[in-house]
Amino acid sequence: MMNKKERVMTTLDHVEPDLVPMTEISIDVPHLETITQTSLSGETSLQTQVSADRRAEMNKVATLVLAYRKLGFELIPCNLSAPDGWSSQKNPYGTMTDEWGRILSYDSKCKAWVPTDSIFAMPEDFERFPFPDPYAAGRTFAIEETKKKIGEEMALAAFIRDPFAHAWEMFKITNFTRWFYEKPDFIRRVIERITDFNIEMIKQAADAKVDLIISGGDYSEKKGPLVPVKFFKEVVFPNLRGQVEAAHKAGLKLIKHSDGNLNPILDDLANIVDGLHSLDPTAGMNIGDVKLRYGDRLVLMGNVALDNLCRKTKQEIVEETKECLRRAGPGGGYILSSSNSWYTDAKLENCLAMVDTGRRYGAYPINIS
Amino acid sequence: MTSLLRAEGLLEKIERAFAEISGIDTVKSLIETALTENIPPFEIIQSMREGLSTVGRKYENGEYFLSELIMSGIMAQELSKILKPHLQSSGNSVLGKVIIGTVKGDLHDIGKNLVSIMLSSVGFEIIDLGVDVPAEKFIAASGKENPDIIAMSCLLTIAMDEMKKTIDVLKQTGLRKNVKVLVGGRPITLDFAKEIGADGYGSDAIEAINAVMSALGK
Repeated sequence: MMNKKERVMTTLDHVEPDLVPMTEISIDVPHLETITQTSLSGETSLQTQVSADRRAEMNKVATLVLAYRKLGFELIPCNLSAPDGWSSQKNPYGTMTDEWGRILSYDSKCKAWVPTDSIFAMPEDFERFPFPDPYAAGRTFAIEETKKKIGEEMALAAFIRDPFAHAWEMFKITNFTRWFYEKPDFIRRVIERITDFNIEMIKQAADAKVDLIISGGDYSEKKGPLVPVKFFKEVVFPNLRGQVEAAHKAGLKLIKHSDGNLNPILDDLANIVDGLHSLDPTAGMNIGDVKLRYGDRLVLMGNVALDNLCRKTKQEIVEETKECLRRAGPGGGYILSSSNSWYTDAKLENCLAMVDTGRRYGAYPINIS
Repeated sequence: MTSLLRAEGLLEKIERAFAEISGIDTVKSLIETALTENIPPFEIIQSMREGLSTVGRKYENGEYFLSELIMSGIMAQELSKILKPHLQSSGNSVLGKVIIGTVKGDLHDIGKNLVSIMLSSVGFEIIDLGVDVPAEKFIAASGKENPDIIAMSCLLTIAMDEMKKTIDVLKQTGLRKNVKVLVGGRPITLDFAKEIGADGYGSDAIEAINAVMSALGK
């Protein structure tokens, strides 16, 4: 029987392991607390770094590792850390500003800080903005702590933010869109600058002995890509390719996460990245079709629908999970997960039913009628 | 060329400039020329709306992407500012007043902002209450502003109850009969909208505009 890490590494090589590995790229704090029966202290955000309080970060790492162990997950993703000594800017009305100029508000239901605004009202604001220093010490603190805890038990993924998505998240989508049309060279330059940052982060993550890079941030919404495909081809994909090449140079594979309907850009993506997560079925992504077309070169992660985890019954989730395993599992190259993350409003009993079904029916050779 | 033909040509250009997302400067120049030519502002607005309608249709068909939909809305918002002084002197062209917000317990606003931009761009006056808006704030704004529509958004399933609560409080305060209530957001379905007593629902920004128009019989 393989250990958890071997299961993931075999999967990444498109070989059938003993069991379909499982993970989630993110689990909201209320679920983490329920799973671990602990209380997560310190400030948290799933999208960014909100504190360089290393004690709190160690607590977060310990909680995450405990949760992933309890769930039996094979792969644990870990965010980058804020640099040593950094602290967020506290604003009036209880908001804070992160290192990337995003203004965050506290979401009491999710128990996390979420981006709600931006300091960038015009492109000139970015020119004056002190761009984060990729060489600042401490950016792999949480990754190193996680590695210390898990050793070779699980596979470890560094979670970075895609430059295109990072740019629209930083500027908010309305400003991003306006500048995208009025100052395309500016948007291109921002994406290139974040790409350079990410390439350095990939190198540092590799030095910290991660096994995989996962790039978060969305390219698409329900109907299709957020911007015309031409821009993806001319700007987004060359920058994505640069990051993939940096990962490959360090001996790592890169899996791209994106919500939404990726079908119009799937051919290009399949030629650049090593894997895709989340393959959202509610946005028209069919994991069976993607497996048939690209299963020989893309590792697929997904795609039990988040909406269904929120609304449907346990039995329906069992059936949906079996269908994912049946369609995407054969031949390897498949990691079972939800189509997004375990959001606060996903029913935990449904999430656990997905895990249970993965274990019951995920043994190779997959044999689900 | 007669002035009528010249006017028609300009209005077509404005419509096309919107439909092709030609940018704020291009359309601004066309609108300024149209105003110089004494083309009635209402006709200019109508051309803008027809252009926007083309953008919406192309977005629905998958020919256009979200950025094009958003940019057309931004263009309309910006150019409405140029037309506003002229409209005030020639009568009110506002289609209606909409109070919009993300309900209490939810801080997500991308969808709400898109709906806000698109409604504003087609001629609605928007009062945006922001995010995490409790029922009481919707009620207070409703009492003060006398809107035609209250539009509520949420992304989290656990915030959906707040929509029902707001409708219930609107009923209790007697304000419900004077206003149409629309709901939208990732977890919202038509069945849910009906169940809580909303007048309509939109699954995206274009559907939201259609729902508002339909609720107001336009």
